[in-house]
Parts: sequence; structure tokens; C-alpha cells
Amino acid sequence: MPPLDPIFRPTSSPEFWRSLDERAGTSEFRAFLEREFHGLPLPDAGSFDRRRFLQLMGASFALAGLSGCWGQKSYIAPAKTRPVERIPGVPQRFATCMELGGVAQRLFVTSYDGRPIKVEGCPSVARGGTSLLAQASVLELYDPDRSREVLLIDSSGRDRIVKTWDDFLVFAKPLMERFREAGGRGLAVLSEASSSLTLAAVRETLQQRFPEAVWCEYEPLSWDHEREGVRRATGRPGRPVYALDRAPVVACFDADPLGLHRNAVEQMHAFSRNRAPENGWMGRLYSFESTFSLTGANADHRFPVPSRLIPSILRALHEELYGDVAGRAIERLPLPEATRRALAVLLKDLRAARDEALAMAGPNQPPEAHELALSLCGARNVYFAGDPRPAVSGVRKEERSHLEGLRALTRQMAEGRIDFLVVLGGNPVYDAPVDLDFAGALKKVEHRAHLSLHVDETSRHCTWQLPRAHYLESWGDARDYEGLVCLQQPLIEPLYGGKTPAELLAALIGNDVLKGYDLVRRAVEPFVAEGGDFERSWRHAVHEGFVANSRPPLFPHEPRPVPKSVQAADPRPASLELVFRADAKVYDGRFANNGWLQELPDPLTKVTWENVALFAPATARELGVANETMVRLKYLGRDLELPAYVMPGQAPGTIGVSLGYGRTAAGHVGGHDEWGAAIVGSNAFALRTADAPWGGEGVVVEATGRRRPLAVTQNHHAIDTVGMKERGHRVKQLVREGTLAQFANDPAFAQRIGHRAEEFSLWKEHRYDGHKWGMAIDLSRCTGCSACVLACQAENNIPIVGRENVRIGREMHWLRIDRYFRGDEDAPSVAQQPVACHHCELAPCEQVCPVAATVHDREGLNSMVYNRCVGTRYCSNNCPYKVRRFNFFNYQKRLENDPQQEVCKLAHNPEVTVRARGVMEKCSYCLQRIQAAKLQAKNEGRPVRDGEVVPACMQACPTGAISFGDLNDRRSEVAARQSSPRAYGMLAELNVRPRTQYLARVRNPHPDLTGRQERGARSEDA
Amino acid sequence: MTPADEKTRDFVFPRWLNTARPLLTLLAGGAGLFVLVLVAYGLSPDTLAVGYAPKQPIEYSHAMHAGELGIDCRYCHGTVEKAAHAALPTSQTCMNCHALIRTKSQKIALLLEKDAANRPIEWVRVHRLPRFVYFDHSAHVNRGVGCVSCHGRVDKMDVVRQEKPLSMGWCLSCHRHPEAYLRPPEFATKMDWVPPAGQDPAEYGRKLRADLRIDPPTDCSACHR
Repeated sequence: MPPLDPIFRPTSSPEFWRSLDERAGTSEFRAFLEREFHGLPLPDAGSFDRRRFLQLMGASFALAGLSGCWGQKSYIAPAKTRPVERIPGVPQRFATCMELGGVAQRLFVTSYDGRPIKVEGCPSVARGGTSLLAQASVLELYDPDRSREVLLIDSSGRDRIVKTWDDFLVFAKPLMERFREAGGRGLAVLSEASSSLTLAAVRETLQQRFPEAVWCEYEPLSWDHEREGVRRATGRPGRPVYALDRAPVVACFDADPLGLHRNAVEQMHAFSRNRAPENGWMGRLYSFESTFSLTGANADHRFPVPSRLIPSILRALHEELYGDVAGRAIERLPLPEATRRALAVLLKDLRAARDEALAMAGPNQPPEAHELALSLCGARNVYFAGDPRPAVSGVRKEERSHLEGLRALTRQMAEGRIDFLVVLGGNPVYDAPVDLDFAGALKKVEHRAHLSLHVDETSRHCTWQLPRAHYLESWGDARDYEGLVCLQQPLIEPLYGGKTPAELLAALIGNDVLKGYDLVRRAVEPFVAEGGDFERSWRHAVHEGFVANSRPPLFPHEPRPVPKSVQAADPRPASLELVFRADAKVYDGRFANNGWLQELPDPLTKVTWENVALFAPATARELGVANETMVRLKYLGRDLELPAYVMPGQAPGTIGVSLGYGRTAAGHVGGHDEWGAAIVGSNAFALRTADAPWGGEGVVVEATGRRRPLAVTQNHHAIDTVGMKERGHRVKQLVREGTLAQFANDPAFAQRIGHRAEEFSLWKEHRYDGHKWGMAIDLSRCTGCSACVLACQAENNIPIVGRENVRIGREMHWLRIDRYFRGDEDAPSVAQQPVACHHCELAPCEQVCPVAATVHDREGLNSMVYNRCVGTRYCSNNCPYKVRRFNFFNYQKRLENDPQQEVCKLAHNPEVTVRARGVMEKCSYCLQRIQAAKLQAKNEGRPVRDGEVVPACMQACPTGAISFGDLNDRRSEVAARQSSPRAYGMLAELNVRPRTQYLARVRNPHPDLTGRQERGARSEDA
Repeated sequence: MTPADEKTRDFVFPRWLNTARPLLTLLAGGAGLFVLVLVAYGLSPDTLAVGYAPKQPIEYSHAMHAGELGIDCRYCHGTVEKAAHAALPTSQTCMNCHALIRTKSQKIALLLEKDAANRPIEWVRVHRLPRFVYFDHSAHVNRGVGCVSCHGRVDKMDVVRQEKPLSMGWCLSCHRHPEAYLRPPEFATKMDWVPPAGQDPAEYGRKLRADLRIDPPTDCSACHR
């Protein structure tokens, strides 16, 4: 009998908890738990008596749709000719890529009848998984607020005249002639970060014809510090490529390789490969950071530390590792004892794994922190890819950081030396450092053109707004993180006649080649025509989505000590530190108008439709700041008001704020001051200066006391097994985790948690002889990135409901990720669990539907038949997992009534019914994909193969956490996973026989740190 | 009674209603029954859908092309064996012949005009299922359900007419007893196919079902998603 591990010792507060409210057992939380549907009864609508009610009901019955059944003609208009291989109704897939921050992510996009509707990953990259930003990008294509025509804007910014591309080029021609005569003086181009060969080729032509033209590249969330750190460590600028699958120790210092990283998808996949204890060994992940990140959530040991102390921590580790300092550098650090102890243990691990260890620092850390982190890495598991930056043309050709480049350009603009500025993408008026006053400098430029997807903040300050082609409408290319040249092909003609940056520039400079297709061909030719048939190689490259053998060789790492920099110790006592970070959903604000992203609960805070100031519980108490109240942050002479959110695990003395919100010209979803759309969140860029782009010390907090209820999903759909007191202990049965030591001792430890007796059923048992669909979710691999949630939303036409409805628990996501904290509130660990319909064999929902709208089919699926549902909602009441979602309103109504919004219809997947008001919906195990696979197999006369049916969530997951297939197929992956000793069914004791099983998470804490951490002791304890 | 009294006293039903009451009950019940029957029969797909033969933009005659000329269904509706939709032919398919044949005919003037202008022809859909029904042609055609079983003798129609109700009950009647409606898959488009003589048709159907391993689903998830 295995010894009772201390983690199972009952404590007085619940062991797993979702929020501080739950932990404290407040009445608000209790109310949330006990009401199945919040927001009911409806608020008092005034005098609403019985007679009026009957009148209304009668009227609506009379008007209710008998229309559309017959009497209306329906037309079929086949095309004149059909493209080869296109069959109406059969989707096709094309390879393309999406560039973000200069790094491409390879994608396979599904095109249905000539329009793209779903983004998937490339199967050879991270198992075909994608990031959540890629999943949401298809909605951006069909955004009704996109810029649809060329606009000439007058100086007040309000008068906008619709023009055409020809008008713009006619206007630009004499201007460009003048520049050519002047050698390019006065011409400037401000571009987003781009690794595109096409754009580089056009830029080179531009620099040949206009030698004194200025080219500036600016990306608000830049990795310049890392680049500089690599340059200091290796002699040339580069990007570190980490082999996370082979490293036995990974230490992250404010770094988030699994979340907000340009190579996150591949890194998640690599990381997951050494998290399966069945492989025999597991790596160990340490995380020291100020704000909770996905990496921190998945770490074996995570400690909150203020960001400003990280360089000192790295310096201390470096000194002890390289041993040139006698004395205990770690002991001298101003950190709690538990954190220092953890660093000492980390040092032990780094020494043990010397050659294979990995350490990394986040983009907000100064270059010396990166240099120090690299010195801690072993030589084996990190390589460097080149990170070329276009040299700024003009007199000086050195490569600058983005900030320096923008600063120089802004100065030139303010001095009136720029006459024509072309801004390619980006939104510098919104996201440039506020002390540069980019908007003011822009006014001094006589002609300004902005190529962008929306008429945004920058466009309003320009004289010309030019519609940009979305990446799904463009020919282009970009390099991926390691430098492979990836090709972009359009899946649809530009909806609004937009152009790509390369096409615009080519037209402006009078290039001989103007069309995107030709520009890309020409730019990529040196890489493709390696002796042989160019046409054939080109077609192959476009088909595959990348150019073979185009990745430059990676250069190796030689760890060496870092000379000590002169660093005076700061005698002042530490003040509050403000920490800026990219937002997991809207990134730097460019996706603010994407409803799917706004409504997605942030993976760690579970906040939607908002950005918040994150406070540690201790700090909040000290400052007198209450949760969900407005606070004013005063930093470097500027202030910002935003809601405070008390976040367990936030480093005390730091305040975390996400960038990318508070946009005033995003659109109807993200906020627009001219259209009366509510502004979402608060603009943290208003506090961001060029000298402190990632924040720093010296922020002052003023609590205003005004309440601001937030739309937070963390308490929604909380599963109440036996009532609150017991729940905290019982939750450990829902999300089961253990340590590697426990697993080694007893692989089936997960099955011993909780009490299970063999039960019989009152209902007649069914035999499943044909297909028996089942799913297995490996919690050891799931990082909580939420790509699956968005993939499900994209695939199944799930509507967005808006802030107010999310606040009362009416969000429609079929798949949710439950996030639990564990341990004490200052330094908790996090457990994540994706939950969707489990398709129980003895489903409680089926037993109570009065109209048999939810029934079981012979393959084990619980089918939801929308057309039978009358909206009793009893099924949701009875569901123990709380996975059913009700359409309280007709969320798709705007698509019917507003001609401007009609384009959104194109984003829908025609294989899935679009639900109206009054019906219940839930995960269907992607029934449309099951049927498609079965029909395909039937037509080909063969059985369905394992791995042929891939639900959207499984396909999007970069780590392969979700596995789906036929349980009757003994060789299928899902059958193997479900028979693993780690497998367990959630709430299986209810005898519902769920078809989805979870594999318990196994963590790998260091033996010296296990007892303390797991017992949930307070971090100050000795 | 005084006028004042008449206004203030309680309402009393007029006396003649006493004799009329049984008749009124009969009428009310009969009206209810009438409405029920009207809805059940009048609003059923058998009444509403069967016989729908809308006027098409071009008077394309299946009787002439599929019947007299003997063009196979799949020449035009080529996707029926590969996909869910039996796609209508593109104008290019029509022009395969009509670029040369009967080019001066007034009946195909619209075809030539649309083809020259690169526009589609807007045919009126005849067989229409509700949008929450997902029907797959290939699963049926490849497995022994003939075109004629659901679409009738199209090769005898000048104007396409819906012959069957295509209601869920009607679909289920075959799904529950497919033996009566099966044929060897290679004869799917043969409009006048009959089971071979000398055999009991029911027995033939049963054997065919067993040979082809036909097992039509009757679950909701088969057609509704």
C-alpha cells in the first residue's frame, strides 16, 4: 500500500480552488454556484401583466416562421466553368502561412466553395497544431468593419472621400517623380516587422532608385532585447532555437516559451514530448516571473518574483555556476526564503544537467539578462537562427532596434524633413511610445498614406487610407522562426480590392512587375531554381507551402561567462513596479476587433472583454484595492484608469497590465468612438515610454473605489458535487495530478483518488458493435493555450454573446478550459482541464428531455437535434459537467438584418447548422467530421482508419493532448490512452459512463522542494 | 326593467342559446377536427411538395435529353457519386454540345447569352430539404438506390416535377426496410430497371441487402448535425 502522500491531507480551505471568492466562500460565489442560469428572472420590465404577456406571445406566434418552409423560391446558380478538382460542397485545403511580428506560421487552410473558413496547422509542424491567434484569423478576413475602399482624408480627419486605387496612383506619380529627382530625400516608409523576401526585393529596388529614402521597421512588441543579448553572447544578432524536448532542466525567467513567444507552437509541441511519464523520463520546468503566464501554469515549480529583480537573480546564478565568486550570491538576493531555496535547488539541477540545461529570459528583460540566461544554457539544446533586420538606408547602415529606428524617424518627421510617409500596416499612432508624440510628428508630414485592414487610429491621422489585402487574400512569403522560407497563397480574391505592402510599393516606385504573384515568384526564384525546372519547383513549393532547403544553417551556442557590468546597487527601497505584457488574445491590439478573441477567456485570468491591472493578494490588501474596482495608475507623469483584479500568483509589489486594449477606432467589436461602440479595456500604451517600453518601478496606485463588474468566466459552470465544503476536497477528483515519484511508485495513482464502487444501471445497457467513438485528454500535455476553444468556435459556428452576457454566464463556448489554483494564494500552482460534452453512455441529459431532442445514437454519440428542441433547458440542469449551452437570444440575427454585416455569413461552416434562439447546443464530437470520414471510407469501400476522424479541438492542439477515435479499434490511439493506468473518468462515480477520459497530469517536482510546495505552505515559512 | 337596471345587472345568456347549444358544441368540435385534418393533410409534404414543378429560366427538357437522347444522369450531374450534392452542370457542360447543335434555337438563346456574358443560369431548385438536414447523394447512389426511387421518371419529364414528398417519415420508410428499394449499384441511373424476372422481388432485395452489407442508420445523427 503506497504511503499516503502529504498532498492528500485534508486542509481546512479547499485544496483546489478557482478563485479567491471560492476560497473564501463568499456569498457571491455561492450564488453563482447554485443558480443554473444566471441573469434569470429577467429584470423588471415595468408593467408586464398577464394580459400583455399573452398579447406578446400571441403576436410572436403569429409571426413565427411558417415562412421559409415553402412558397419561397430557392435558386441554384452553377458557375460557368468549374475549377479543376473543385466539387461543390467538398472542401479543399491549401497551404499558406500567417506572418506575425516578422515570423511565419505555416498553415493549411480549408476552403469551402472558394472561400476560406477554417485554419489548421501544417501536419508536419507540431502535429498540425496552431496558436489561438491563427485560429481566429479567419474571422478577421470577414470583418465587416474592414476598410473597403481607398479614402482621401482631409486635414481635420473627419471628411473622408471615397477614391480609387487609380486616383491614388495618379496623385502619387508626380510626387514620386519629384523624389526621384531629389534622390529620395523626403520619402519615408514605416513598415511592420517582416521577413518577406518579396518585400525585401521591392525595398531594394526602392533603395536603388531613391537612395536617400528612409526605411524604418517598427513592431511595438519587439524582441530587440533578446536579439541584443544574443549578439553580445555570440557576436551576431540571432534568435535562440530551444530543443525543449531534450532538455532535462528548463528555467524561465519572465519567459513564456509556451505562450507569448514567436515559436510557441513548436515549443509547446517539443515541451509536451518529455511530459509523458510513460516515456521513462521527464524534464523539469522552473518558472520565475512576475505575472502568471502559460509557462508558469505548466511549470513544475513556479515562483513569483518582481521583473526588476530578474537580472540580479540571473547574475547570482551565473556567479555561482561559474564559481568565480566565493560566497553565496543567491542568499544575498532580496527574496523570500522559499524562493531562494528554489533557486538553490535550480542551481543544483543546472549543475547536474550542465551541458543540456536551458535557461531563458522574457522579451521584457534587458539585454544583459538574456546574455546571462544564455550563459546558463548548456551547449547542446540551444542553437541560433539568424535574425536579419533590414538595414536603415541612408548614411548609416547599422541595424537598429525598432525603438531607435522609430525615434529617429519621428525626429525627422517632427523637423519637417519628411514629405511623404507611407505606413505599411501597423498602427503607430496607437502603439508608438507616447513620449515620442508620433501623432504630432505625423502632422508635420505633408502627405501620409496608411495601408491597413481597418480605418484605424493611424489612418485617421493620414491623408490617404488604402485597404490592405488580408493574408488569406495575398500572394506573399515570410520566414518561419528558424528561417525557412514559407509561401503565402491567396484562398480568395481580395474582397475589397486590397493590396499587399509589396504590391503597393511596387506600384508607387514604378516597378516593372506589379502583381503579387509575379513579385513573389521573382523574389523566391533564387531559392527555388536550384538547377532544374523552375515551374515545377515553384508549383511544388506553393503546394507544400514552403521552399525546400531554404533554411539557413543554425549556428551553435558556446556558453561562456559574462563579464560583470558596472551596476551600482540601488539604495532606494523598492517601489511598486509596473509590468507591461503582450496580451494573449489581442496581441498588441491588432486583433481588438476580433470578437472570438475578445470573448475568449484569458488562459490565466479568465477575463473577457477587458484588460485589468493584476495585483497580488498581499499588495491589494496593502494598498486597499478591492477586486473589480477601478484604480488609477500614475506612472512617469501620465495616468490610466482600469479595473483592478486580484490575481493569485502575481508577484507582490508588481502590477501586471496587458497592452492592446482601449482602442478608439477598432470597430464595432473592439470599440469605436465615432460609431458609438463601447471601447473595450484601457489603453496601456498611454503609459508606455520609449525609455521604459516594458514598464518599471515608480508606479503609484490610487484606488477610486468605483465598482467595475468584470466578465470573468472562472466561476461559471463550476461543478458542484456535494456542496461547497466538500467540493474543495473533491475537486481533486475532477482534475487529478501527481508527481513523477508517485507515478513511478504506482502508475495507477490517479484511479485511487476518490472512491468508486462498481454500479449497475437502471437502464438497459446497449452494445456498441460498430464504431464506438471516444476521446482521451492527456492533462500532462495540455498547456491550457485555448487554441482548441477557438478551433471549436470556428468549426461549429459558435456565436459570440458580448460582455454583458458573458458576465452572467451565458458564453457559448462548447469547450471550456477550467483553471484551478492549488496551494496558497501567494504562490499557487495551476491545473488546467479542458471540458466539453463527454457523450455519456448513460447520459443524464437524455433522460430528462421531454421532447427527445437529445438522443443517443448507435455509435455512442449524444446527438443534439436542434429542430426538436423546445428550450426547456432541463438537460443542462441535469448535466453534471455543465457543458450544455443555451441560445438565449438569436445571436445571429444581426447577420439577417444588416447588409453591412452580411459578409460575416461567409465565415460560417456550411456543414454545421447555425442555431437560432431557443435551442440547446453542445459539443458534438465534430459529428460533421465523423460523417465525412465515414462517407469517404464507405465510398472507397474500406473501413475508417484510426486518425482519420479528427475533431477540431484535436486538430488545433499543438501538443496532441486530445485524442479521438474508435474505441472498438483495439489498435487506435484513443483505445491505448483510455486503457492507460493514468486514465480516469471525471465524475465517473455518477455512473454516467463518460466516453471522454482524462489522463492524470504528472508533474516532476524536485524531491527537495516537493513537500513544502505541495503542502501549500506559505512562502515565508522556513 | 328600466334602462338603468339593464346596464347594471349581471350578464345573462339569451334564451335561444339553450336550443342552439348542442349544435354549437357539434360545430366547435367539428371545426377543431376540421382544422386538425386540414393541417395534417393540407400542410404535409405530400400535399405541398409533391407536384412542385416550377418554371425554369430555360425550358430544359429531361424527356428529350435523358429520355430520347439517352444521356446518362451522371453526364451532367457528375458529382453524385463523389459528393453530397448532385451538382447542376456548368454552362460549359451544356456548351459541349450546344456550341454547335441547335445554336439558332430560341429555347437555348438564354444559355448562349449567359455563357457569352460569363454569368450563371439561375435555375429554380425543385427538390429542397430543410437546411438542418444533411443528405449525401454519394452514400445512396453508390450503394444501390436508384435515381428513380426518389426523383421519379425524370426521363419522362419535360418540366422537372417533385414526385416524392422527401419528408423524414418517407426517408425513414426506406431506411427501415431498404430491401424493397435496392438495386445493384451499377443500375443506379437506369430509369426503367426492374428486378430480374423469375425471382421473388422481396427475396432479391434481401439478398442484395446482405451482399452489399446495407445497414442504413435510423439515428438522428445520421442526417441532423
